[in-house]
Amino acid sequence: MLRVKDGDDSAFAQIVERFQNRLIGIFTSMFADSALAEDLAQEVFLRIYRAKQGYEPTAKLSTWIFQIANNLASNSRRSKGRKKEVQFQVGGSGSQAVQVGESNVAEKSAMMPTRQLDKTEMQERVQSALTVLNERQRMAVLLHRFEGMSYADIGETMELSTQAVKSLLSRARENLREVLETYVT
Amino acid sequence: MEKLQRLSSEDRDNLPAYLDGELNEEATRRIESILVQSSVARNDLELLSKTYDLLDELPRPDAPKDFIEKTLATVKMERVKVSLSDQVWFQTSQKILVLLGWTVALVIASVAGFAVTNRMVERPDDVLAEELPLMRNLDRYEEVQSIDFLDQLTRSEELLNQMRKATSHE
Repeated sequence: MLRVKDGDDSAFAQIVERFQNRLIGIFTSMFADSALAEDLAQEVFLRIYRAKQGYEPTAKLSTWIFQIANNLASNSRRSKGRKKEVQFQVGGSGSQAVQVGESNVAEKSAMMPTRQLDKTEMQERVQSALTVLNERQRMAVLLHRFEGMSYADIGETMELSTQAVKSLLSRARENLREVLETYVT
Repeated sequence: MEKLQRLSSEDRDNLPAYLDGELNEEATRRIESILVQSSVARNDLELLSKTYDLLDELPRPDAPKDFIEKTLATVKMERVKVSLSDQVWFQTSQKILVLLGWTVALVIASVAGFAVTNRMVERPDDVLAEELPLMRNLDRYEEVQSIDFLDQLTRSEELLNQMRKATSHE
């Protein structure tokens, strides 16, 4: 990042390459919308570029980048006035958008508790289960599970205390357990 | 602890952190001791772990092949239309102006402070200047000795004339 600060564009390209899939992955799981995820990931890189002059290597680069991503996700949600029930596009581009909400997940869970689900169906169930979590719980879970962040790093990224992250993840995982326990054997 | 005893709320809250290795030594020992004794706790822990593992089923889409290219192009466009406030010369000028502003404000405050204190605080020289007429005539005032006599003198025209004559003869 210090090279980017000095105007090295190839260093910036390396950062994009290193973080593009990770950011798109997080945003896709957050919003279940791959197009939006790409737009948001690009916006993160733009913000990184704009902020390069003010960058100070006081925190890990990944923490700083995901801090920007977290702020952007919050702003995006606020500005679009998203409701708890969101449009889901599972399985990439061209797939049908499905309205899935908290009650719907529970209904589906109750209706087919033991049937073996195929991979796509399971993806749908898990993606739907994430809607049970609030935005902060979801972000904390994704950073923990996919980025392998410690509670302290999540706290720094989301500007929360370690204790608050512990509570957040505990509630989130309890909620996930309630919704998904039917699918584990 | 009974085999089927439910976990306390605090213990339940600690289970995910135990799974993640984020508990301190004391809390870890407590959870481990509960797990040894309670099949309910072991079951809860297993469910938490397995349901969390299901997140690995989530799709992890890769970025499109032209993502880097598009992002770099967008950044270049951004650089072209970089706003005035983002330009280095502008930021430097802004800093200098702010510094200049503070310096001017400081000078004005100093001058105003000096002027105010100069007027408000009385110096020994000012007292002397104010009392100068009194000091110049101090000998005469001491000779007169009595204010009553002066009053009588100003009221009596005749006495005043006599005194003038007497002093003019001298």
